[in-house]
Amino acid sequence: MIKNWITFIKKHWFPVVAAVVIVLGVVVVGSARNATTAKAGRTPIVFWHEMGGPAEQALDKMVDSFNKSQDKYEVIPQYEGVYDEAVQKIIQSHGTSASPAVFQSFDISTAQMMHSKYTTPVQKFMNEDKSFDASKISPVARSFYSNKGQQLALPFNTSQPVLYYNATLLKKYKITPPSKSPSYSDVTRVAEQLYKRSHHQVKGMTIEIYGWLMEEALANAHTSLINHGDGHAGNPTKINLKNPTTVKFLKWIRTNIKSGDFVNYGSGASAETNEIAAFLAGKLGIFVQSSAYIGQLTTGNKDKLGISYFPHPDGVKANGVGIGGAALWISNDKPKKVQKGAYEFMKFALNAKNQANWQAATGYLALNKDSQKQAALKKLYAKQPEARVPGEQLASAKPNDTNSGILMEGMQLTRELEQTAMESVYEGGSINKALTTASQSMNASLKTTNRADKK
Amino acid sequence: MLKSPASSQTKPLAVNQTKQRTKTTFALNAKDKYYAWIFLGPSLLILSVFIFYPMIKTLYLSLFLTNTVGKPTVFVGLSNYISLLTSADYLSSLGVTMVYVFAVTILTIAIGLVLANYASKELAGIGIFRTLFSATMGVSVSVAAIFWLFIFNPSTGFLSLISTWLHLPQIGWLTDPTAAMIAVTITTVWMNLGFTFLILLGAIQSVPTTLYEAANVEGASPRYQFLHITIPMISPTLFFVSIITLIEAFKSFGLIDLMTKGGPTNATNMLVYRIYKDAFYSGNFAQASAESIILTAIIALFTWLQFKILEKRVNY
Repeated sequence: MIKNWITFIKKHWFPVVAAVVIVLGVVVVGSARNATTAKAGRTPIVFWHEMGGPAEQALDKMVDSFNKSQDKYEVIPQYEGVYDEAVQKIIQSHGTSASPAVFQSFDISTAQMMHSKYTTPVQKFMNEDKSFDASKISPVARSFYSNKGQQLALPFNTSQPVLYYNATLLKKYKITPPSKSPSYSDVTRVAEQLYKRSHHQVKGMTIEIYGWLMEEALANAHTSLINHGDGHAGNPTKINLKNPTTVKFLKWIRTNIKSGDFVNYGSGASAETNEIAAFLAGKLGIFVQSSAYIGQLTTGNKDKLGISYFPHPDGVKANGVGIGGAALWISNDKPKKVQKGAYEFMKFALNAKNQANWQAATGYLALNKDSQKQAALKKLYAKQPEARVPGEQLASAKPNDTNSGILMEGMQLTRELEQTAMESVYEGGSINKALTTASQSMNASLKTTNRADKK
Repeated sequence: MLKSPASSQTKPLAVNQTKQRTKTTFALNAKDKYYAWIFLGPSLLILSVFIFYPMIKTLYLSLFLTNTVGKPTVFVGLSNYISLLTSADYLSSLGVTMVYVFAVTILTIAIGLVLANYASKELAGIGIFRTLFSATMGVSVSVAAIFWLFIFNPSTGFLSLISTWLHLPQIGWLTDPTAAMIAVTITTVWMNLGFTFLILLGAIQSVPTTLYEAANVEGASPRYQFLHITIPMISPTLFFVSIITLIEAFKSFGLIDLMTKGGPTNATNMLVYRIYKDAFYSGNFAQASAESIILTAIIALFTWLQFKILEKRVNY
């Protein structure tokens, strides 16, 4: 019997090996698919997200409680790497069986997702659903992900840039802290005093080379970066980075670089790690960064943390800053039932209790007005009173075109170019030249994008 | 010489066999063709799916503009290439890549050669040094990048500690454009050194010792021996290593991504990293495709040049 088998295999080894390989392949692919199937009787809702670390744990917990709260759907969360890379993954997998039903995509991909026509605007479900009170959700966050009164996606994890300062150090050197909504010169004053009075042992301030922060400086001064009201009134056709507000912002940084109190940590994740490390070590007095870092800055910080609003130019009323973070979108390549399930999950994620827990666990801001009364946030504020400030900044901003984000495709490239411009200014290059070069490249790219999209 | 009867008996048999062998023709029969397809089939299939098809598609995409979702919409002919080759930004990337590639290739080979030459001496405990010098072969790109990021860290890094002790000015290793280029080059050379060292060590050790003995008798200095015996004898290996290092340097991606992300002010934005950024960050697949084709042409050109120029100096 066995002998017969061996002679058979010897004679026909190729087809046999091929058959074995195919069977194994099918088994492997089949078992991989199993990971996305739900429990019996439930509709699976595949959810792509880009939350790593503690935020992923908090998100998994939220998904888990959603799955337990009802028996119609089962949300299956899948981590897809960083924001920047996930955008293309989402777009390129659309229409295949691997694509998600609901996905998280970051702030600057909004126009891209809108133009792709791969999503169902949430507004459609909101119109059918009377139980959802959208007015509870932060207006400035909602307006970021809407176009012409239509809600495209729902904001989820949201942060705003704030100004952090080391309150203990300021007290030690008898320096009045920056005001709640400081002007550029107010920040400069604190930074210079700190640098001088510490005998150059403590650097005054830093601002990461990060396009987002420059855009927020524009938003806070009520200045548009692109025409058609930052894209909210129509598809943009012209970009103007070289405007008086950007010049003011960069001149402010240059002043501080010249007086020596400013330290440059460069760009990207390593810059953020380094500035936080220096801040926690008491070697840096002030920095502007996302409010999502608040958790990292309070745990294990021996000094008292101070937080102010994002600074505004002197003589200009603060317009309020836009949000950062990401929104939840519904893919339109899934059946109605699945899309409805995705919407139900988004609604669940935005309820008062979940948003409160989310802020307490991650540092992203609670978007639901009622979250402030929830136990989780009360507990957080009792422990860290300064954690209130970013939420207050968010609540105080009245949405208008300039602080509702920039609705333009190709924002990732725009950010790169803004970053390059900032870098060359930080290194001592001409502000005008840097902004002209960046504006030219941005406009060239926008022209190509508009031409390619027209067809 | 005396021959045993046994050997004289076997000899004619062997001659007979060779005669039979020379008679066979090398034409493929039907069965051979069947086997050819079996053996070539899988690799042809894999190559066409993963290499040829993407290459042709890249060429195709590079002649179009692509829209939001990466689909080609407007045919623009060579205008993607023209706009790239006239953009100061792209040309600076090209320049940066050339500087990096040549610095990496030359430094890797020079340092690898020096280390290999010393490590080829038979001394007590030389095995320890051989292991140490080739140790970077076992280090993955991500580990190397993180290791060097610690060294280059502006506040707590090893280099900044040293310059603080010695009261030297601080260098922003990853924030200053020139320094960042040097930092990335050092890291790449360090990464490549293990492989280069090992290959060159093997080559040096396989040089016949009789040559050195003869040179010693003639009274040639060690330096003269190195330049006139070692180098010519290992030239095929040097040629191989130089091509491999050059191509690898052109393709350098992981270190750039982890250490500088192409910054500051695009000072380390190499061609490959740029392609990745343009395609998968900016979603500009048309431009990225054109960049890929240009990169392919450049690497092909350099490989051809190396074969043309260097091969003449190689003693096989």
